Amino acid sequence: MIVCVAVVGHQNNPLYIQSFTEADDALKLHHIVHCSLDVVDERVNNPKKSGPTLNETFLGLLYPTENYKVQYVFFSYGYLTNTKVKFILVTTDLDVRDADVRNFFRRFHAAYVDAVSNPFHVPGKKITSRTFAERVSTIVKSFGLSSAT
Amino acid sequence: MANYLAQFQSIKSSCDHIVIAVEDVSDLWPTVKSGFEERLPFKRACLNNKTRNPVLVEKLPAEFILTTDARLRSRFPQEQLLFWFREPYATVVLVTCEDLDEFKTILKPRLKLIVQNDEREWFIVFVSRAHPSNDQATKMAKKVYAKLEVDFNSKKRERCCKLDIHGPEPDFWEDLESKIMESIRNTLDKRVQFYEDEIRKLSEQRFMPVWNFCNFFILKESLAFMFEMAHLHEDALREYDELELCYLETVNMTGKQREFGGVEHGDDQAALLNPGNKALTEIVQDDSFREFEFRQYLFACQSQLLFKLNRPFEVASRSYSFIISFSKALAQHENILPFCVREVWVITACLALIDATSSHYNEGLAAPDIEKEFYRLLGDLYSLCRIKFMRLAYLIGYGTDIERSPVNSASLSMLPWPKPSIWPSVPPDASSEVLAKEKIILQATPRVKHFGIQRKPLPLEPSALLREANRRRASLSAGNMFEMFDGSGSDTSLKMSPSNKVQAISMPRTNSSPSNFESSIDRPMRLAEIFVASEHALQHTISNPDLWKSLASVEEFEQKYLELTKGAADNYHRSWWKRHGVVLDGEIAAVCFKYGNYDLAAKSYEKVCALYSGEGWQDLLAEVLPNLAECQKILNDKAGYLSSCVRLLSLDKGLFSTKERQAFQSEVISFAHGEMKDPVPLDVSSLITFSGNPGPPLELCDGDPGTLSFTVWSGFPDDITLDSLSLTLTATYNADEGAKALKSSTATVLKPGRNTITVDLPPQKPGSYVLGVLTGHIGHLRFRSHSFSKVGPADSDDFMSYEKPTRPILKVSNPRPLVDLAAAISSPLLINEAQWVGIIVRPIDYSLKGAVLHIDTGPGLKIEETHFIEMESYINVSQCANNKANCHGTRKDCSLNADKDFEQLHLHDGRIQLPDWASDWTSILWIPIRAVNNSLARGSSSVAPQRQSIVDGMRTIALKLEFGVSHNQIFDRTIAVHFTDPFHVSTRVADKCSDGTLLLQVILHSQVNASLTINDAWLDLQDGFVHTRQGDRRPISGFFPLVISPTSRAGILFSICLGKTIAEDEVESVQPDSILNIRYGISGDRAVGAHSPVTVESSGTEDAKQGLIFQSALILQRPVLDPSLAVGFLPLPSDGLRVGQLVNMKWRVERLKDFESEASQHNDEVLYEVNANADNWMIAGRKRGHVSLPTKQGSRIVISILCVPLVAGYVRPPQLGLPGVDEANISCNPPGPHLICVLPPTLSSSFCIPA
Repeated sequence: MIVCVAVVGHQNNPLYIQSFTEADDALKLHHIVHCSLDVVDERVNNPKKSGPTLNETFLGLLYPTENYKVQYVFFSYGYLTNTKVKFILVTTDLDVRDADVRNFFRRFHAAYVDAVSNPFHVPGKKITSRTFAERVSTIVKSFGLSSAT
Repeated sequence: MANYLAQFQSIKSSCDHIVIAVEDVSDLWPTVKSGFEERLPFKRACLNNKTRNPVLVEKLPAEFILTTDARLRSRFPQEQLLFWFREPYATVVLVTCEDLDEFKTILKPRLKLIVQNDEREWFIVFVSRAHPSNDQATKMAKKVYAKLEVDFNSKKRERCCKLDIHGPEPDFWEDLESKIMESIRNTLDKRVQFYEDEIRKLSEQRFMPVWNFCNFFILKESLAFMFEMAHLHEDALREYDELELCYLETVNMTGKQREFGGVEHGDDQAALLNPGNKALTEIVQDDSFREFEFRQYLFACQSQLLFKLNRPFEVASRSYSFIISFSKALAQHENILPFCVREVWVITACLALIDATSSHYNEGLAAPDIEKEFYRLLGDLYSLCRIKFMRLAYLIGYGTDIERSPVNSASLSMLPWPKPSIWPSVPPDASSEVLAKEKIILQATPRVKHFGIQRKPLPLEPSALLREANRRRASLSAGNMFEMFDGSGSDTSLKMSPSNKVQAISMPRTNSSPSNFESSIDRPMRLAEIFVASEHALQHTISNPDLWKSLASVEEFEQKYLELTKGAADNYHRSWWKRHGVVLDGEIAAVCFKYGNYDLAAKSYEKVCALYSGEGWQDLLAEVLPNLAECQKILNDKAGYLSSCVRLLSLDKGLFSTKERQAFQSEVISFAHGEMKDPVPLDVSSLITFSGNPGPPLELCDGDPGTLSFTVWSGFPDDITLDSLSLTLTATYNADEGAKALKSSTATVLKPGRNTITVDLPPQKPGSYVLGVLTGHIGHLRFRSHSFSKVGPADSDDFMSYEKPTRPILKVSNPRPLVDLAAAISSPLLINEAQWVGIIVRPIDYSLKGAVLHIDTGPGLKIEETHFIEMESYINVSQCANNKANCHGTRKDCSLNADKDFEQLHLHDGRIQLPDWASDWTSILWIPIRAVNNSLARGSSSVAPQRQSIVDGMRTIALKLEFGVSHNQIFDRTIAVHFTDPFHVSTRVADKCSDGTLLLQVILHSQVNASLTINDAWLDLQDGFVHTRQGDRRPISGFFPLVISPTSRAGILFSICLGKTIAEDEVESVQPDSILNIRYGISGDRAVGAHSPVTVESSGTEDAKQGLIFQSALILQRPVLDPSLAVGFLPLPSDGLRVGQLVNMKWRVERLKDFESEASQHNDEVLYEVNANADNWMIAGRKRGHVSLPTKQGSRIVISILCVPLVAGYVRPPQLGLPGVDEANISCNPPGPHLICVLPPTLSSSFCIPA
């Protein structure tokens, strides 16, 4: 189950963070997402480690902890601007197929691009669009379904 | 083969180096032993690894063992094959022989016998005992050795070397070493090949039922061990890695249920670094090994090799993933394992690995990025250990002492409870412990956050422990009983928040006590009972006394907890993962705070807050910031505390309730008005922001004060009173110019949200200004804000853009003309009459409200104070014409404008207050002024018209206009007004009648821009002239009134004749000149030029209007009656004059009569003077001088002067004057001024002549 998705800006500031747990514990998910930025930084600052995947936006599993996983995608518009926006996904599923996650991020990314293309959106500001939130929750729900099948 | 396991183990433990066999044929070993063993261990051994690539091994240990030694002798051939790795890798045959025959007959066959075994790698060392002085023996030894070489060396390989005991043989040892090495290498290759073949054979049978992992293991480990003996650790490690892979495959193979292990006492302690922890024989199970022990064994072997390879980094990196995967394996078998073995195992494993790796790790050993990664791994290990440790602590009831922070919650609430098959139950004799725990639970009060912030504490448990524990118990008995009878209660306990724990504990009790189930089946455990039960179970599980000790009491727990947290934080700080480190610092801070170490706590909290606020994670910041504030309050760090309050207030409004925000504000205010000695500076940029009002900036002219209004956004939840407020403006152009503070004088109350503040603005220097800093006081608090808001309130997440493009709020224009004062007309006015002088006052986009004009008339001017000064609006004629042309509608405007504003003003002390209606429009000010000129106008001859100088009629009026908001602007202007007489008079004699009558024509040139009407004129003649008609001084013809239009001329004829002079000598001497009197009237517009005088106008009568009198003096020259000298201009050369040509001007002066009058010694000298227009003539010679002229009648003299004409045309030639003689006595020829012709210069042909 996806418990949290987040969009983090290029200054590591949260642009959008939404948890999908029933309990009122969003804060801990904030913490997880925030700490996962360490890994993003590490890989971005160490091109050796990230290896040939610099152009590859999907950087895969980040936290091999016992009980939850943080997946994230490091996204960069090489051909436009280096917006360096990160998408982070926290899931409690211990076995997630890579393809599912990639697919999820692709759709999430598309939703994000649509949201920031809104002329009333100020770049670098939090995304407050309700449409975006709805779309994200749809994607999150369908992620659960597709992984089940 | 599996039977050999025990033997294999013992062999492995007994030998750990390569063996070299020594076949001592000639009993030489005792002699050479020390020499041989000195070479051990071999330096720089070159061996082949598994892939047959040469590897250089430093320090290869080995041992020389005689073949007769028991260790080599008592072996069965079968064993030899299996444990081949321990067999000698080389055989050194030691021989000596001094006799050739003996060699041939005895030694050679014996050697042949020894070396016939191909399995062995051998070579022969011939030891020569011959003394170098003994030539015979030496020669013999050489011969024998030569023979030996012939017999045993092959083409491919030399197998002999010679050692001279008595002679220095430095080459020998190198030779020996290389030979040994060659043998070892060959043997190793052969044996590796053998094991590989064997392993391959076994591998091929892997999926057959006969497959036995133990056999495979023995072969594989033998190979690995052999590599290890040869110090080829890399290869050994690879073998173990393959072994592990293979083992995991076997384990995961379905269908084979095997015992897992881990149930023995002491198994809770990880044995990840000690391969010998348990004998392998103990863990054999069927054809394989128990997973629990064996995987640890393999990891231990691997880590030992890695340490030998000096790669502690890799140990750490492998260990973390091993622990994770092993922990998963433990989780799978949790139902058969003792309670919480998994957690305990992870803790011990982490601690052991941290110890081992960090003790093997030397700083700076690896590349910086590897080092960072290493510390990260250590941090991970610490943090994993910490989580498990907290879990154990929670289980035994220390949950209340664990900080419910996001980090703890994230790790603990997502970590499932242990899942034993049966939850441990309370031991029978533990009722007192249960009571004690219950008491602790009841007494525990959740810590109240500072400012009374109410937050639902974050969970530390994945689900309610009470339910989990009871479910695991109840499932054993009659189904899920707990949930059956707990019915309604279960829901509440499910969602039970930890803060309601006290309630939750009592709930099952109240529910269960009246129930009938209590006696029949297991009563659900209470929380305290669960804690006690867990504690007892753990006590059984944990075999490490240290670990148990740290769980024995809350204090010990916190000690250990702190140690682990610090370890994790320190290591994360050294790695890339700064955020992890800083967050854990926050956890350390919480413990420090608990123990009253507020200083440290504040420091750590500050770091955490800086991290969160730096990246804009406000939700997390809101969790930590109150803690920091509390520390600062306790430490009495007022500035810090206040700034924390401000930061709290400036966080997203949704993060705190209004009540909490009000609490923050009241803290700030109570501090501000409390007993603070010194004003505390406070940056409120995030809370109070300000901006200019929308719209164009305020524009001021240079030197003008104004009022500036701007918007202040207050982020305070309530109204806040600012004792003072000041704002600085910064000039955009020059940064050096100190910003000026504008102060708001009174106390300001800021409402939440938008406020408009107005301040007085003193005059500023020209330039454009932006808002600078907002400062002010709240009580003793000196606050300061430097953040601008665009339109709305401060964007709380806009943390990164302090530098916004600022819009100028004030523009002070450069000094420019704001008003213009000019004379309304340029044409001259009448002199000596009161005239209206018009002054156009033209404001240039600037209001003249309240302006005062100072008028200072210069000399020769007088303001007619008896009259009002008139002011009227002024329409430029051209403007009006434009307007008319533009559209018809403007005609109305024009006509509107036409009925001008008009006002009469008074002059007070030379000042006039301008009326308000004139403040924005151009207006004209009419000032009645009289220019005074006492001199009489003089007429001139028409022959030599003498122009009046304009300067004579020029008068100046100094004007000073004070205007602006506070009369700060001053405009000075001196305007020139031109006054003139109405006429300029020139005369000429029109005709000279034969009867002596002269017709004197008086020509009147009108000088003014107005039409003049001459009503009368009469001439008062000077002495020597009389009117022809006695007594009638008027002109011949009376055409009066004669109207003269502006700038035109008119003439009047007077008929006069010469009169007697002598008779009226006394009387007329008073009047040397003739006076022309003209009575005239003027009709002109003051807007155009001269007009009728103010006084006349006001009196209004037509007579007065026409009764102006103009007088002008005329000079009438009597003919020369008494010539005594004659001056004649001698004719010039007939060919004419040319420009640039020298010409000799000559005058002849002749005495017409004796000059006997007033005797003087200079009588015979005449003073002459040549006058010429310097523009036309250049005169060479003395212009003025004396010439001697005898006094006798008829004496003459010629005065000649060299002149050069400068311009062509008819010009007046130079004139000779005799200043010493009265004009009346000089007769001139020609009598009057005349003109001569000057030709242009001849063309210079010199340039045109061809060469």
